[in-house]
Amino acid sequence: MLGYIWHYVYSSFLRHWLKWLIRQVTGQCELQRICSTYKPGAPRTSRAEHSLRSSKSKVLREALESNRDKLEQRVEEIIKVKNIKPQKDPLFKGSLHVCLLQITGYSSLCVSVEDLRKKVFDSEDQDHEAMLFNLWGLLMPTVKLESRMTKQWGDIGFQGDDPKTDFRGMGMLGLINLVFFSENYTEEARQVLSHANHPKLGYSYAIVGINLTEMAYSLLRSGALKSHFYNTVEGTPELQHFHQLYCYLAYEFDKFWLAEEPESIMHFNQYREKFHDKIKTLLQEPDVGLRLTVQSGKK
Amino acid sequence: MGLLTILKKMKQKEREMRLLMLGLDNAGKTTILKKFNGEDVSTISPTLGFNIKTLEHKGFKLNIWDVGGQKSLRSYWRNYFESTDGLVWVVDSADRLRMEDCGQELSKLLQEERLAGATLLVFANKQDLPGALSKDAIQEALALDEIKSHHWCIIGCSAVTGENLLAGVDWLLDDIAARIFTAE
Repeated sequence: MLGYIWHYVYSSFLRHWLKWLIRQVTGQCELQRICSTYKPGAPRTSRAEHSLRSSKSKVLREALESNRDKLEQRVEEIIKVKNIKPQKDPLFKGSLHVCLLQITGYSSLCVSVEDLRKKVFDSEDQDHEAMLFNLWGLLMPTVKLESRMTKQWGDIGFQGDDPKTDFRGMGMLGLINLVFFSENYTEEARQVLSHANHPKLGYSYAIVGINLTEMAYSLLRSGALKSHFYNTVEGTPELQHFHQLYCYLAYEFDKFWLAEEPESIMHFNQYREKFHDKIKTLLQEPDVGLRLTVQSGKK
Repeated sequence: MGLLTILKKMKQKEREMRLLMLGLDNAGKTTILKKFNGEDVSTISPTLGFNIKTLEHKGFKLNIWDVGGQKSLRSYWRNYFESTDGLVWVVDSADRLRMEDCGQELSKLLQEERLAGATLLVFANKQDLPGALSKDAIQEALALDEIKSHHWCIIGCSAVTGENLLAGVDWLLDDIAARIFTAE
């Protein structure tokens, strides 16, 4: 209760007085101080985001919802409202612009990812079908697919004769992630698949992949990926960066699963949660950057 | 601990039920479970292993086990049979191609000794889909009328809209309760 009162008093009065006082002493506004004190990436952008969001000025708050191509204009407006002298702080404009690209980019990435998730896999759509066959070719280059409906799909970890039904919740997002991993890290994807087909420690490659897409998706939606993207993308995070994160999860989950040696696939959810917690802990580090690093070091 | 508390504890234990939900992959088991529990059902991925949920309904404590249905997992189903009060068999009513497969798996289950005492509820799911077979057609396809070993009932439902889920579970609870809890 006391905590709530303190928080209310702090955020409604004290914070503004304190900011005003420091501004008088240092001659810099909070955003300037953030940009000059903290290094680029999550330490700077997360603080700038918080500062903008809790600002009394509408111009500052609205900059967070702005379009990408209007951002430079928004930065100018902020400089004007906050009465900042560019000649005294020449780096500020560029720094704030990058922060805003990252912040607004995260929101638009959420929208694009959601659009892909909602797109249902459609057997009538040539592009969707081609993508599915491409996945097979990348993972099983020496084996010919006998027909569209076949038990062979089970060899790359789909549940039944038609992979279509497995894309239900994650839609095209699930398929695109699987293809992206196989296309950009072909050798690693095949290596993961061979582990997945292990007689004792095996798991269903494709549907585990779809489950990991769901994990990436929920991390994105909860905002947990902000620090990661602020640290790894110097500008607007795009879909490909989301797919890259999926690759990291797919590669790391495989390592995790093998190391844990679960009794059987029936314990999947328990290990999934354990892995999820591990990732969430990593994401709380201010300098987090989840990049797939190949062990042999050739990439 | 007083006598009353002991009695109360026993009573609580008695009012627990264990439900096992099975069916082919993509039948909608997890969606039924989540919808029944009031959760979001739009982002469900295929189930590997199992999900378990404990929820209260009509004064009963339900332990619902939802086990993945893909072929490679079916050999593990037996691990979940013990002390099952109710078996919920979920059917994708629109999956005509695998209806035979679906019937065979069900009849295999009904021969299991450890499921002998369980009440059977068949959910003819996905009634909201245009190509879905009716409840009666599924009753015939699965030859439900030939079942003499178990109390059974078939209910057409849609996990996505939530239609008839409650009716099905209520029937199941009433039947189980009449079997176990009235013999006091």
